[in-house]
Amino acid sequence: MTRVTIPIGPQHPALKEPLSFLLTVEGEQIMESALRIGYVHRGLERIFQNRSYLQNVHVVERICGICSHIHTTAYCQAVEALLGLEIPPRALYLRTLLCELERIHSHLLWLGVLAEHIGFTTIFMYAWRDREIVLDIMEELSGGRVAHAVNVIGGVRIDLDQEHVHSILQRLDELERQVETFLGVVQHERTLQARTRGVGHLSAEQVRRYCVVGPVARASGVDVDLRRDAPYAAYASLDFQVITAEEGDVWARTMVRALESIESLHICRQLLQQLPEGPLTVRASRRVPPGEVVSRCEAPRGELVYYIRSDGSDRPARVKVRTPTLTTLITLPDQLRGVNTADVPTVLSGVDLCIACADR
Amino acid sequence: MRNLLSALFTLLIFPGFGFLFVCALAFQWIDRKVAARLQGRIGPPWFQPLADFVKLMAKEDVLPTGAHEQACAVLPMVSLAAVLTTALVVPIGRHATSAFEGDLIVALFLLSLPALAYFLAGWLSVSVFSVVGGSRALLQYFAYEVPFLMALGGPAILCGSWSISRIAVHQSQTVWMMFVQPVGFLLAFVGLIGKLKRSPFDIPKAKSEIGAGPLTEFSGRKLALWHLSLDMKTVVGIFLLVNIFLGGSFTDLALPTALIFGVKALLILLAFSVAGVLYARLRIDQLASLGWRVLAPLALVQTLIVIWIGVR
Amino acid sequence: MSRLVKSLAHLLPELVRTLFGGRVTVRFPFAPLDLPAYFRGKVVIRPELCVGCGLCVRDCPAFALELVRESREQFRLIHYHDRCAYCGQCEDSCRQGAIVLVNEFVQATSRRDTLAQVAVERGTTTQQNLDEA
Repeated sequence: MTRVTIPIGPQHPALKEPLSFLLTVEGEQIMESALRIGYVHRGLERIFQNRSYLQNVHVVERICGICSHIHTTAYCQAVEALLGLEIPPRALYLRTLLCELERIHSHLLWLGVLAEHIGFTTIFMYAWRDREIVLDIMEELSGGRVAHAVNVIGGVRIDLDQEHVHSILQRLDELERQVETFLGVVQHERTLQARTRGVGHLSAEQVRRYCVVGPVARASGVDVDLRRDAPYAAYASLDFQVITAEEGDVWARTMVRALESIESLHICRQLLQQLPEGPLTVRASRRVPPGEVVSRCEAPRGELVYYIRSDGSDRPARVKVRTPTLTTLITLPDQLRGVNTADVPTVLSGVDLCIACADR
Repeated sequence: MRNLLSALFTLLIFPGFGFLFVCALAFQWIDRKVAARLQGRIGPPWFQPLADFVKLMAKEDVLPTGAHEQACAVLPMVSLAAVLTTALVVPIGRHATSAFEGDLIVALFLLSLPALAYFLAGWLSVSVFSVVGGSRALLQYFAYEVPFLMALGGPAILCGSWSISRIAVHQSQTVWMMFVQPVGFLLAFVGLIGKLKRSPFDIPKAKSEIGAGPLTEFSGRKLALWHLSLDMKTVVGIFLLVNIFLGGSFTDLALPTALIFGVKALLILLAFSVAGVLYARLRIDQLASLGWRVLAPLALVQTLIVIWIGVR
Repeated sequence: MSRLVKSLAHLLPELVRTLFGGRVTVRFPFAPLDLPAYFRGKVVIRPELCVGCGLCVRDCPAFALELVRESREQFRLIHYHDRCAYCGQCEDSCRQGAIVLVNEFVQATSRRDTLAQVAVERGTTTQQNLDEA
């Protein structure tokens, strides 16, 4: 049989952001694939050096649209550690609340995208309809649907009153009912299982070798979650479970993300019900004393690492961002070997790519 | 002279091109609207299919270098002609324009020509996506065609005639074939979903995988005619199913023919829309496996039962 | 049997529920759109409160504000709408409370030059004429 080279990207209906794959296909099976990234590289790490720490909070938010808040959380945590600040508990709780809401939003968005790629347009419409509940909550809290601008160096700049808390809790109940429906679909619906089971398999050994993080790692049985292993923000005082699965295919990743969304809803409820009183910010000086710091957070896609080196001025000397998608991208050629061409969008969606994050 | 005018009227207006054109656009609109409402959207306005058609007719027609230009120009017309000719033998209302013994076989043969033209369109417009889509279309054709043909043969054997009109009339005297052969009806229904390349069997034109499949490189008038022929195939396929399994428009109730026929056709269309919204798209090997491991044996069993009843 | 039905028609109840009242399409711009009060939309700068300190200019991450100073009493504050990221940092930085982000969001214009808006003009002839009149 002759070998055909099929280009997937940089422009392709299966990709939301530009990425280039050259697939060598024989019949319907993929023999090899070559990966190229860098199409959305904006040189953000250099841009950070041209702006003050205060200005950078907003630039960091725009590395990615879906996980914007977690980027500012990691950045602000790093700078606050350099300044030696102690953040008031109410601010930490509100920060964590937005982190978890963003996790739910990201997983629902991802579910819709996966469903669209396997031809299940109905689930796509339903998931994005229910995502609106989360987006409305975030819009009321912060003033923006995706660019929240909630974090400042020293705390947060939003607040909640009791009536607002009550209204959010009601909507979270409604959202939980909807997410349970999606969980039921993933567990029982025949066609979805036929398309996702056994596709894009990663063993636990491969996960450890490539240092994969996030739901992809947890779906292959590797139990890593920074919220429990290295708690930051308010996670030390919260009670939640880390979801893992054993199968390591796209179906397992779907199950992990669906169950994680429900877990996030429980965490949001705890945060809202146990919200402590107190100030929202502490004073932070513009100049940061010299030093270097590493700050890690659990983004919806896995472990997010920020390294900041300061030289005593009000501008950072170096900001280095390691996003979780970089680790999962490397596994794609391995995952695609031997896979049917029809399953390429499924595999690509299964790792929840966020190329804007990966390329910076 | 009057014969000529009457023939022209039949071919061009009713139940020929004009009627089928309006029906095709109306069925497409109903399908899109129902699917939209089931998904929580509003759906397109009533004139959307017409607007799409007119817009496509006015657009520029480009083909890639290396594509066989004359063949690509002819293939949509072949598809359209095949579907329009089938409409001549399918009773719309009480009478078919042309009814003769064996017209069921002719109709089924003509309805498989568009699938062949579809595959050739993919093969001859040389881009990678078209070729892959074309080969998938051919694989799909083999998966559903055998059960479909066998399922449609069942009522013919029971009613003792290979003419669609006689099968329809026979049901008005006995009972609808749908109740006598429910498995056959289900197989014909599923087979028609595959034939019309609707979700969940829209594998050749899987948007997220291979662009638009065989029709990726078509544009302008050619694409307008392709879409029109596929929409008309939907109409003719539904009319065929109404006549063979649902008793056509023959009934004891004193209602206008058009109403009865229309209601039955719309019910099948609604079932198609719901089935399209309910499932994810299957992979081609899963469809082939489904076709040969489930549908074909069921069709065989159904045919054997029918022959046994017929012999008795 | 019920498991087979459940696995094949799992979505049917949700489909029926959506059909009878689950339409979520927002009809904007054919119907008005309500936004929460805290939505970060149009940047409104109140000239009477502005003292020309330049804190907003220093803290803007997109360099969307410019202070053109001729003397202590004569300055102009220009806001470039096409550079603005609507982050709200200027609102936080201003100590006089002169900048507010309101929840108006329809700001499209067909002329590029209207996007550079002179928000505050202090001490120039135009301002003096207005004061005298």
